[in-house]
Amino acid sequence: MTDPVYLDHAATTPLRPQAREAMLDVLSRRWGNPSSVHRWGREARAALEDARARFAALIGAEPAEIVFTRGGTEADNLAVLGRARAVAGPLACSAIEHRAVLAAARAAGSDRLRIVPVDENGVVDADALAGVLREGTPALVSVMWASNEVGAVQPVEHVAGLCAEAGAAFHSDAVQALGKVPVRVDRVRVDLLSFSAHKLGGPRGAGVLFARRGTRLHPLLFGGGQERGLRPGTEDVASAVAFTVAAELAEAEREQAMARAAALRDRLEAGLCERIPGLRINAAATQRLPTISNLSVPGADPEMLLMALDLEGIAASSGSACSSGAVEPSHVLLAMGLPAELAGPSVRFSLGRDTTQQEIDRVLEIFPRVVERVRT
Amino acid sequence: MEKKNVLVAMSGGVDSSVAAALLVEQGHNVIGVTMKTFCYSEADAQADGPTRSCCGLDGIMDARLVADRLGIAHYVFDVEREFTRDVIDDFVSEYAAGRTPNPCVRCNGNTKFRDLLRRGKMLGCEFIATGHYARMGTDEGGRPVLLRGMDEKKDQSYFLWALPPEMLPRLMFPLGELTKPEVREMARQLGLSTAEKPESMEICFVPTGDYAGFLGKRLGADHAALSPGALVTASGEVIGQHDGYARYTVGQRRGLGGGRSLPLYVIGTRPQTREVVVGTADELLRGDVAIGELNWLATPPSAGDAVRVQVRHRAPPVPARVEGVEDGLVRLAFDDPQRAITPGQSAVLFRGDVVLGGGRIAA
Repeated sequence: MTDPVYLDHAATTPLRPQAREAMLDVLSRRWGNPSSVHRWGREARAALEDARARFAALIGAEPAEIVFTRGGTEADNLAVLGRARAVAGPLACSAIEHRAVLAAARAAGSDRLRIVPVDENGVVDADALAGVLREGTPALVSVMWASNEVGAVQPVEHVAGLCAEAGAAFHSDAVQALGKVPVRVDRVRVDLLSFSAHKLGGPRGAGVLFARRGTRLHPLLFGGGQERGLRPGTEDVASAVAFTVAAELAEAEREQAMARAAALRDRLEAGLCERIPGLRINAAATQRLPTISNLSVPGADPEMLLMALDLEGIAASSGSACSSGAVEPSHVLLAMGLPAELAGPSVRFSLGRDTTQQEIDRVLEIFPRVVERVRT
Repeated sequence: MEKKNVLVAMSGGVDSSVAAALLVEQGHNVIGVTMKTFCYSEADAQADGPTRSCCGLDGIMDARLVADRLGIAHYVFDVEREFTRDVIDDFVSEYAAGRTPNPCVRCNGNTKFRDLLRRGKMLGCEFIATGHYARMGTDEGGRPVLLRGMDEKKDQSYFLWALPPEMLPRLMFPLGELTKPEVREMARQLGLSTAEKPESMEICFVPTGDYAGFLGKRLGADHAALSPGALVTASGEVIGQHDGYARYTVGQRRGLGGGRSLPLYVIGTRPQTREVVVGTADELLRGDVAIGELNWLATPPSAGDAVRVQVRHRAPPVPARVEGVEDGLVRLAFDDPQRAITPGQSAVLFRGDVVLGGGRIAA
């Protein structure tokens, strides 16, 4: 087999060398417990607080508004369930939210969840949201910043305005957005924001929840009171520092990297449309993250598409894999109104900073052949 | 030997693990696949804890471990919809009709192998393999035939008679020449995590073995098949009550009460009147059998042919003569009367070791 092609960066990304160095530095030299009063503790504490301040600066927040968590799912859970436990009222979530949001909202009581529909491009229906807000103030509105599956960037400013008017707290899952589009809490009036390190070259198991000062939130874990009591447990300083380093790099390179990704993505989509009759680009008519291309391949066996690609050395993904590894149709594509014959056989290519034109051209050569084979 | 692209079905059990290992050892390009056949949460809800059924989620995890160890790709094929339609629904309606189905036969013939073949093609695999104890061979004309496995105690050709015959040229059964103890020993030597895994005895979608509970969920607990009725003798004498004819299968002794001079067995059920018919060991014997829903993997036998027929898993094939083939039914006369011929079970016909085909035992 020729060199494999990794086009699943929305699933995870390789650790950037600078982040790894930063991690190793903390693990080997500043390994103390940040809560300790002695010098070891102080040094670890200084590293952690330095990371917190830098992360805050990156998104226009105050350091005290940054809660380091052990991942994006934990940040989403803390925002949704933590809010639901602190404040009564419904939880209004867009239909395309990540499962970490939807499942957490359901865990708060299925009668509290209100699903806000999206249009055919995967953009949340602001009028429908306004309708939900008129029915009574939700405990939380959750609309992600950009879709992990189709890349559709959401009208977060507009949603923030609606929420502010209605007096509802606004949470956005910005896991895929950070480093790809501007994410600033001093420009968008969002109350809670979730981030994940490993989507942008940081380590797995590291996340951040931005919680605007004054936002009422209950913790999900109980213990020593770390992270202002919102995320107790001895802090993972190395991961927090590495996340910050990776996020700073991504943000500094953002415009250039995204222009490059957009050009490659356009080349991929144009080339595939030319070669595969009936191919459909999902969320094509709205602003998308330049790194994501979600395609429906009518007539293809949904499960076989990814497996056959894998055997050709191309990594992509589709829908969301359930615990058994079987592929289920994407709830996002279904929410966009795609019929089952388009929602089922879909594939998501997600580009990264290392993706090359040669790799895109390999996909242009191999993917049409694979589609031919798995068309039933 | 020629290197082939082989898709191997891995249940997570020791047999299919070793089958995959042997194929890798033989130098083939091997891809492992586990079929997801039914909803795990439902199966788990029936058990008191996590189940160790071969088809369960644990099976998928175990198969993955083995595939990783062998350095081969592993995927999950979701056939839940097809499996429910072709296997579970049939299982339920057969019990409701007072018969005793072979779900593994249905699965192999309708679901598993067909799906493996279809998707195997999509992955560029010209061969499919499983860990069944059966062999492939060729007849005088060079055509592929299915043969009994070498290990008489483990032979599983009984479960394979319903395969579509056009599939034969593309099948591989790497364990056909081996015995179960040899397979376990190989698994140990290869360091496979599944080496000591216990044999799965139960049907995969009823891991607890509680068929009645499963049927109750599907049919409703007040269904006739699960409702009380009379235990009667062949002459019509009512000798007691039973708690649902679906709980009884021909040849069964349990649940009939005691205190009689001769031990009693179930010799039949009458769903229309909800009766379970009981009789002595002698009354359990049958001199002939009619089988329907036929499938042939070799030239079908004709009237007068001497064959061997196997009427139950683990029963030895016994000599019989084909009395007639008509209206989709084959009538066979046993050389010696056979015990507990059970409607719904498979009857598989052999000539020597060659599987000719088979059918379902008619009521």
